Order: sequence, then structure tokens, then C-alpha cells
Amino acid sequence: MIDPIASSPPSPVAGPPEPGEGGDGPAGLRPWRKPRRLPSGPLYAILRWGAAGFFAVLMIGLVVSIVSQSSQAFTHSGISFLWSGTWNPDAGDYAGGTLVVGTVLTTLVAMVLVVPVGLGISVSLSELTPRWLAGPLSTSIEFLAAVPSVVVGLWALLILSPVFATDVEPVLEGLPVLSWVFHGPAYGPSVLLASVVLAIMILPTVVALSRTALGGVPLSDREAAMALGATHWQVVRHTVLPGARSGIVAAVTLAVGRALGESIAVALVIGNRPAIPHSLLAPGATLGSAIVNEFAEASPGLGTSSVIALAAVLLLLTILVNVVGQLLIRVRNGRRLLGVRGAVV
Amino acid sequence: MSMLSSVQVALGGPMPDMGLVEVARRRAVVRDSARRSIRRRRMTGHAMQVICLIAVPIGLAPLVALLIATVAKGAGAVSIDFLTHAPTPSGVPGGGISTAIVGSGEIVAYAIALAVPLGLFIALFLFERPGGVASAIRFSADVLSGVPSIIVGIFAYAVFVERFHHVSNVAAGFALGVLMLPIMVRANEEAMRTVSIDLWEAGVSLGARRSRVARSVVLRGALPGVVTGNLLAVARAVGETAPLLFTVVSPAFAMTLLIFNDATEPFPDAQQTAWGTALVLLALVLILSVTARTVAWTLNRKTR
Repeated sequence: MIDPIASSPPSPVAGPPEPGEGGDGPAGLRPWRKPRRLPSGPLYAILRWGAAGFFAVLMIGLVVSIVSQSSQAFTHSGISFLWSGTWNPDAGDYAGGTLVVGTVLTTLVAMVLVVPVGLGISVSLSELTPRWLAGPLSTSIEFLAAVPSVVVGLWALLILSPVFATDVEPVLEGLPVLSWVFHGPAYGPSVLLASVVLAIMILPTVVALSRTALGGVPLSDREAAMALGATHWQVVRHTVLPGARSGIVAAVTLAVGRALGESIAVALVIGNRPAIPHSLLAPGATLGSAIVNEFAEASPGLGTSSVIALAAVLLLLTILVNVVGQLLIRVRNGRRLLGVRGAVV
Repeated sequence: MSMLSSVQVALGGPMPDMGLVEVARRRAVVRDSARRSIRRRRMTGHAMQVICLIAVPIGLAPLVALLIATVAKGAGAVSIDFLTHAPTPSGVPGGGISTAIVGSGEIVAYAIALAVPLGLFIALFLFERPGGVASAIRFSADVLSGVPSIIVGIFAYAVFVERFHHVSNVAAGFALGVLMLPIMVRANEEAMRTVSIDLWEAGVSLGARRSRVARSVVLRGALPGVVTGNLLAVARAVGETAPLLFTVVSPAFAMTLLIFNDATEPFPDAQQTAWGTALVLLALVLILSVTARTVAWTLNRKTR
């Protein structure tokens, strides 16, 4: 077989990368920078640049299409779409305020639930359990991430929600001090149930990223602490956790991004009442769940545009959170950040 | 002399004018204090470790409960007929999910056709040309992977359905492809980075073109990682529901939509179908994940 590329006449090859061009590190730590003047078939260059260009078009197209489709709603209610009013399409009221509140509330409660459990699991898996046990356990947690969100939603709606209605919510109502948080009839579908479902779904994100951060704390730091007479737990508490702090913050931030955007499972269990919930046991709605429920029924024109405006708000929120999370990870790694060298923290 | 003796006291050593009994008493005080300290610190440590370890069963409980429920409820629904028959209208017993399986397969095939080649070439771009442009693409890929899937669904709706005025599996495949792309790009690039630069230089020094080196050195070396990353991305896309909501004709033509739809139906038959479909989907995702890991393991062993 004749290979068209191999059989083409050999072309002169540029020499090894010159020091000035080859990179900015010391000679022993050569970064991945290739000489630019290598022969490259036009087809290969076109494919590479074409793919990168297509990706840029996709990214810009995503933002532009969401923004342009939602412009009608924003011109109708102005920027106050973000915080004012109620979502009641029958009465012609289109405003996302209550939904933003619902989204932030469910995410907040989910984080309160997931951060202690997630941190406990990451510390256990990376510091406390033997390797033969930590491997299978972390694989199981990772499998939780692979479970489709609609399956989690199905389970939460048909199995977890009745349990909540009969067993969990009455108990919470009976709590003495927290009655202002937990009151009202126990239906099952509620803000609390949605938060629990979110917590289950973002747990693998928190665990995987925090474990990476904990594992990144150098052995020499641990040894130094041990040499000072610290117990195993003191090493974890005063050396490993502070060393991994920025990575853990990044993990939590990215998990917040996940929780904000999860829509299907939440739509199944939150009860879908677009009003500010008076208690965690009351039904509510989030941006994602409202998009799922309202999009098909929205009237053409302003209705559809308003639903897409909800998507625009959600996009803005998640992009903000994710940019912060990615910056935290990059700054921590001391990598180049958009061509600028990040500070090493 | 007095200074020396104070040092000796500090070290717990004997003082000339101190009786042996007094020396022993002071030593015991110091020893007890140290023992109490280590005991207290160990107790705190054990307590905190137990608290951390308790989190592990708490975190795993939902997974176990979910798996048990899905298998218990779904096993009764799944049969050969269930997999090969078309759905019946809600409320009518019987019927299967064959259309949903075929539809999901078609959608995922479109997504793969879009995302796999694109992901490879974008990763090659990042590999061949580090710098500002590459960093920007890498960063936006990471941000895109955090964008909610429902927004990608609306994007696909705006691109296809709004324009051509009919829903189609191509639009759904496009949405899933956009969702898989950032995962694939990052996995491919990570895999390519494991290829030693010496090998790349050796290839170049033989006079081969960039494309030839990319194909025979970079891609060959990165193959296990590429296959694993792409399979995991596919496993993730198979389970997506939100992007299909606005792009697929009817819930009967995608497994995840069928589950979403039937979960809210009051009929026990519909719920049974939802559980059965959930079991099939879960099995599919599990098979894909396990295959991904096995492929990586096998290929890694072969190339080493």
C-alpha cells in the first residue's frame, strides 16, 4: 500500500528548537512547544484550524443565540426580569425573580448537605482508608456520577418522595428551634427534596476534585508535621487540609455550577410552584425546572422568549461560577492562564 | 553553677541539692503530662476520623438504594418483548421501548459523528500549537463542560428547530455532540500529553510531516486514553435528557425522555415502563464505563 504522505518527497526539516524559541523553562524542563517551521500538509493544517475555528463559532453561537432569542423578554420587562415579579404566563407575567431565588436556595441547601459529607468522604478515601478499600469505594462514588440524572429523578420521585412525606418531613416539622425553616404540610415534593437530590448528584464532583487536591499536598509537608510529633489526625487537620484548601474551594465552586444547572431531576421532585417558598417543605421552582416545564407550553413570541431569557440568566450564572472555579484550579496549578502566567498560591 | 543546675532542672536531670524522691516525682509529672497530651490528641483524632468515615456510608447509601430500586422494579418489566415492541399509548398495558432504543441509538450516532472527529482535531490543534489561542480554547472547553445541558438543548433548538421548523434527531444529536465535545477534547489532549516528546522529535527527525507524526506517533501513543475518554463521554451523553426535550419528536423516540415522561404518569404500567427503561439505560451506561476502563487497561498493557 502506498501511503500518500509517506511517499511524498521528503522536505527539509527544521533543526531542533532553538533555546529562545523552544520555551521559557530551564533546559531540563522543556515545555511542550514545537518549532513552528515544520512542514505541514495543507490538509492537516486546514483540519486542525477548521476544528478549532468551528469550536470558537460554537461557543460564540451558543451565547449569541441564547441572548438574541431572549432579547424580546428583556426589552419587555427590562433588566428587572432578574429580580422582580412572578412567573405567571396565564396572566402575562414574565419575570424570573422567584425562579432565581428558588435556584439559589436549592443550591445553597444542597451545598450545606454535600460539603461536610463530600469532605468527609474525600479525607477518608485519601488519608484514612487503606488503598485496597479506597479504590473500589471511589469507583462506586464515580459510578454515581455516571447514573443519568433522569434515573436519579425517577428514583427520587417514586421512592424517596413518599418516604419524605411519611417519615422525614414530619420529623423535621417536630424540631423545636427550626420550625421557621420546616413548616407546612408534608407533601413529598419540596425544595428540601430537590436539594437532597442535587446533593446526591454533585457528591461525585466534590469528592473527585477534593481528592485530587488532597493528594496534591506534598509528602514532605506531611513528614515535617509528623516529625514535630503531630498525630495522624493533626497532620490531616493542620497540614493536608490547609494545603488543599484552594483545590477544595475550586471543587465546591464547580459543584455549585453543576447544582445551579441541573434541571431534569429537580423538575421531577421540586413540585414546580413558581413562588418564593415559605419553608423548605414547600414546593418551589428553579430556573432549570421552569425551563423544562414551561418551554413546550410557552406561547410563541414573548412566552418562548421569556423562557429562553430564563436560560440566559442561568447561562450567565453558571458561566460566572465556572469561570471562577476554573481560575481557582489554574491559579493553584500555576499554569498559564489565557497566555498570562498565573500566580502560584 | 546555678545556671547549670537550672538547665539540669529543665532537662529533668538530677540537681545536687535535690533528693532522689523529688527527682522521681518531677519526672513523673512531666511524663504524665506528656501522656495526657498524646492521649487527648489521639482521642480527638480518633473521634474526627470516625466522623469522616461515617460520611462514606452516608454518601454511598443513595447509590445503593437507587441501584436496588432500579433493579428490583425494572427487572419485572424487562423482557425480550419489552426490548423489541413499540410503546403503547399511556394507560394501555403491554408495549415495549423498541422505538426509544432505536431513536436513542440514532441520536447518539449523530452526536458521535459530530464530536469524535472534531474532538480529535481540536485536541491535535491544542497539542501542536500551544500559546494564547490554545489556552483560550482550553479554557472555554472547560467552561463549556460546566454549561447546563438544558441550555445546550435550547441552543440546538435555536439552530435547527427555529430555523427549519421541525424537530429532528439531527438537532438532538447536535446537542449531545456539543455536550460531549469539551469532555472529549480535554481527555484527548491529556492522553496526547502522555506521549513522550522524545518520540515526537524522533518522528520529526526522520523527516516525517506533522500529520504523519500526529497519526503514527501521537495518536498511536494516545490511543488508550483517547478511546477511554471518548467512551466515557458517550456514556454521559446517552443518559442526557434535557437537551432532547425540545428537539425530539415524541418521548417515545428516546429512552431518557420516555423515563421522564412515564415517571410523572399516574398509571402503574407507565411507571413500570419507566423503571424498565431506567434499568436498560443504567446497564448500557455501566457497560460503556466498564468497557472504557477495560480498553484503557488492555491497550496500555499491549503498548508497554
